Amino acid sequence: MITIKVLGPGCANCKRLEEVSRTALSLAQVEADIVKVTDMQEIIAAGVIKTPGLMINGKLVSSGRIPAPATVADWIRAAQ
Amino acid sequence: MSLNVSGHGAGANPIELIISTIWPVLHGGFGNLAAYLAAHVLLCLLPAFFIAGAMAALIPTEIVTRFLGRNSSKSVSYPAAAAAGSLLAVCSCTIVPLFAGIYKKGAGLGPAITFLFFAPAANILALVYTGSIIGVDLAAARLILSLVFGIGIGLIMALVFRADDAAHELEADSLFAHHAGIGMARGAVALLFVWVLLLLTGTLKLEVLTGTYVQIDLPLLSAAAWQETLNQLVPFDAAKGEEGVSIQGVALIALLAAIGWAAWHGLENIQDGANRWTWASLALIATTLLLAAMAVQATPAGLSIGLTGKFFGVAIALAVLYWIVRKRLSTEAVVDWLWESWRFAKQIFPLLVIGVFVVGMIRVLIRPEWIEALAGANTVLGNLAGVTFGVFMYFPTLVEVPIARMFLDLGMHRGPLLAYLMSDPELSLQSILIISAIIGRKKAWTYVGLVALFSASAGMTYGAWVDGTALWTLVLGLAGFVVVLATLLFFAGRKTPIVKGV
Repeated sequence: MITIKVLGPGCANCKRLEEVSRTALSLAQVEADIVKVTDMQEIIAAGVIKTPGLMINGKLVSSGRIPAPATVADWIRAAQ
Repeated sequence: MSLNVSGHGAGANPIELIISTIWPVLHGGFGNLAAYLAAHVLLCLLPAFFIAGAMAALIPTEIVTRFLGRNSSKSVSYPAAAAAGSLLAVCSCTIVPLFAGIYKKGAGLGPAITFLFFAPAANILALVYTGSIIGVDLAAARLILSLVFGIGIGLIMALVFRADDAAHELEADSLFAHHAGIGMARGAVALLFVWVLLLLTGTLKLEVLTGTYVQIDLPLLSAAAWQETLNQLVPFDAAKGEEGVSIQGVALIALLAAIGWAAWHGLENIQDGANRWTWASLALIATTLLLAAMAVQATPAGLSIGLTGKFFGVAIALAVLYWIVRKRLSTEAVVDWLWESWRFAKQIFPLLVIGVFVVGMIRVLIRPEWIEALAGANTVLGNLAGVTFGVFMYFPTLVEVPIARMFLDLGMHRGPLLAYLMSDPELSLQSILIISAIIGRKKAWTYVGLVALFSASAGMTYGAWVDGTALWTLVLGLAGFVVVLATLLFFAGRKTPIVKGV
């Protein structure tokens, strides 16, 4: 089972990243939990300086930008 | 505008009375909004949004933050903190998380505070907007004084809380140590550079740029009549700072609406790749910038269109930008850049529209005598009034600028005006609460006090300069002020070595 974490305080970018992750999941045809992390301490602990951050199975794959759905789909496939 | 519609006798019925009171207020709001959209926004704000987007998307955070570590000397880390403020953070939504990140990841309290102070006052959007609406002098004063005082406040905070800071050092991760060698892509640097050139071409008032080189006359006989109608709808009176709307302005407002529509379909979903709407919105933006750079005038014979130096400058810059985007940037970088620019526009523009409208309404109600009595001269009281208003009122990003413009038109002195402009974006009740959650209540309130003190001094200093005091006197005075404050704090810190924050 894959867990995807979207790290960010709830700004526009975090919402958009969550949408992109959902699109990516349907592209990759994978089931996963999407968890939103909004606690500042936890975000910083994950090593994200610039939000939004994206974690797949505990690994930080991107921060400070919104990747394309196809790219996220590739990461998800790689994490399987 | 005066309340000249209320010319009813004592026998007027209540509805008429209400209409006659409310109408001028609404009219003021719409007039202000139309004038702003038509005159100010385009050549300054459109490029500024794209520059802000490029900074947010294309400048790697590490390029600046690596200088913020504790191992860097003060002469590197404080300027780097200021640079981070103006380059990386454009809206308050990014500033506080970045501040928390910088602080937790190993920067000292001092540089982190400098960043926090400098970012809202001296980022590209704030400076450009201040420059075009209030004046280049005030934008420059805002930049220079924020820099001096931002670093000053950072140093003082570091000194006062140095016991805490040393303890914090042990527990913070030193993330900034191992990020050497990260550079910026050359295409991204070129993109930023050309946008800044475009912005300067569009806003500078140089003879070469404002002069008309090619004149085209359109035989539109009704043009003069249209302009007459517009003048009736949006009355203009230069003495009161009211600007009115031209035929060109109406065309620009229509284009803006079209851009909004196209961008909603083409930029909102840019992560899925560019579509027809994306190109449509970019083409509309280019058209808008070109039209805004023309000199259009309604004459009795028709509409005369002048192609100015600005027009040619903007055209060349746009062509170069097109080339950079097609040939020199990765698709990924372009997507990130367009998204960030659109996000800023989407987030800030609606607030600005509402803010400008409300300011236009309030302006009708405030009597100039009140402002003149309170802050018409560069006095301590006037500056404190400016600061108090700035600290306790909360306005969305950039709305402080049209508000400041209103105060200026109503007779506020430029000194207190700067005091207000410096304290307003730094502090609001909301930001004070978030900051105190990160660094502790005691440090947060010390910071608030320092910001108030320094904003008032900045206002006094600039006001004195406006009133004709010699520059060197002011520099000496400023230096003396900082030295005295630092010495006092140093000795205070010595006597009670354990100044613990919460």
